[in-house]
Amino acid sequence: MDDRMLHEHRREPDPQFARDLRERLRRSERRRRFPRPVLRAVAVACSLGVVVALFAIPSVRVSAQALLDLFRVRRFAAVKFDESRLQALESIEKEKGFLVFDHEEMIREPGPPRSVPNAQAATGEAGFAVGSPSYLPDSLTVDSVLVQGAGAMRFSVSEAKLRSVLDRLDVKGVTVPSGLDGHWVEVKKPPIVIQRFQSSNRRAVLLQALSPEVSVPAGWNIEQLAEIGLRILGLDPSEAKRIARTTDWRTTLLVPVPLNATTFRVVTVRGNSGLMIITTGDGPPPAPGKPKRKGVMVMWSEGDRVFCLRGDLSAEDLLQMANSVSP
Amino acid sequence: MANGDATAARLWLWARKARATDWDARFAEELPRVYNFFRYRVGPGVVAEDLTGITFEKAWGARERYREDRAGFETWLFAVARNVAVDHFRRAKVSVPLEDVADLPGGPTPEEIAERKSDEARLGALLARRSERERELLALKYGAELTNRDIARMTGLSESNVGTILHRSVEALRDDWNRESHDG
Repeated sequence: MDDRMLHEHRREPDPQFARDLRERLRRSERRRRFPRPVLRAVAVACSLGVVVALFAIPSVRVSAQALLDLFRVRRFAAVKFDESRLQALESIEKEKGFLVFDHEEMIREPGPPRSVPNAQAATGEAGFAVGSPSYLPDSLTVDSVLVQGAGAMRFSVSEAKLRSVLDRLDVKGVTVPSGLDGHWVEVKKPPIVIQRFQSSNRRAVLLQALSPEVSVPAGWNIEQLAEIGLRILGLDPSEAKRIARTTDWRTTLLVPVPLNATTFRVVTVRGNSGLMIITTGDGPPPAPGKPKRKGVMVMWSEGDRVFCLRGDLSAEDLLQMANSVSP
Repeated sequence: MANGDATAARLWLWARKARATDWDARFAEELPRVYNFFRYRVGPGVVAEDLTGITFEKAWGARERYREDRAGFETWLFAVARNVAVDHFRRAKVSVPLEDVADLPGGPTPEEIAERKSDEARLGALLARRSERERELLALKYGAELTNRDIARMTGLSESNVGTILHRSVEALRDDWNRESHDG
């Protein structure tokens, strides 16, 4: 009896078992937990605070000594857009590497999410009181709790790239302000707690975090940059101008929702205004071999925290679940 | 950000560098390690296969987060495997003894098979006598073939502590083995 014998005790898995398991995993790879268009749209929204912030630095006000303007998410608003525009943006991004940035610099690597035993342990890891839903419909139970650490990154701006994007998208009537080159936009991502719930046929995921922060040189003309950002997103000139003027950009996260197969409405979650996005699966036919996607997502903020709950539940159940979230 | 995983995944350029990952290769590489981890924990056969399947199905949903982080994926996979093992023991309160071993893979002669089967049954019985912690460390070391450093990181023990426990466990196994050989 020695190390060698203990190592030799290992055996290869049964080939049939290995094949069957790989096939099961492949099927799950083909299933997405939430409609991709909505996720992609929200991903764009998450970055919109950065992107739109780049479009309008009045050069006369930018200086090395400028203080930073800070953006934090406190509320959510939705804007409908044509998904083909998102595809065009992704295509440009893929081609050029960055849409409007020259350089990126990782200040703090958030690392992969770490599994923790429960929400209480997540509280210790994340540094804030983690909320959990007391209402779990459809026999959902806690499947896993993960915590991803804080991260920080900054990006330097390129006027030339921004002009190129506007040209490629044929956006007319907007002017790229001069004086953007070389200025940095910094994004701080706080720790995120991810709670997964699962039953035999349903899934839901609750994400919560302190608000991320986007800081830019002081003196941004927020309305102007937001208008340009909305035009890039594909809104017509008058609608972009109207939304740009009526939105508090320092506290509002704009969530673009695809025109097809998606509806949204304002909801109240624990006394706070939230946004519900419902994907009906009634849109254009998906790619061959891929099922239609359905799902519900609710986003809200409470105090200094932001929440997102999504799953393949009914809108009523998901909302009730959101309302039951408390530390 | 409200949609935390979207933020984590995308925040524009955060994870955009993701390269195509050969998940077939990653699966082929990790499957034997997870399977053998469970063989050392619960014994071979259907239960080890079931728990291996559960582990991969749970872990696979997060695989995209670890496209470029092979070590992170491995840590995540075995964290899930350990939890699956804990759940199994909590539910079943029993483990399938290694001595219930079924057919061995082909290749050796019938005599060798008989000998190996006998050795495997004996080893299984001896492993079953070790404490939960010892058996988990043995499973991580010899089943999953993790380093002492990796095991320390996963279990929260110090690396030297892991080494000490493993050394003593192997010593104890050897003593038991020799004693039984003499007695037999």
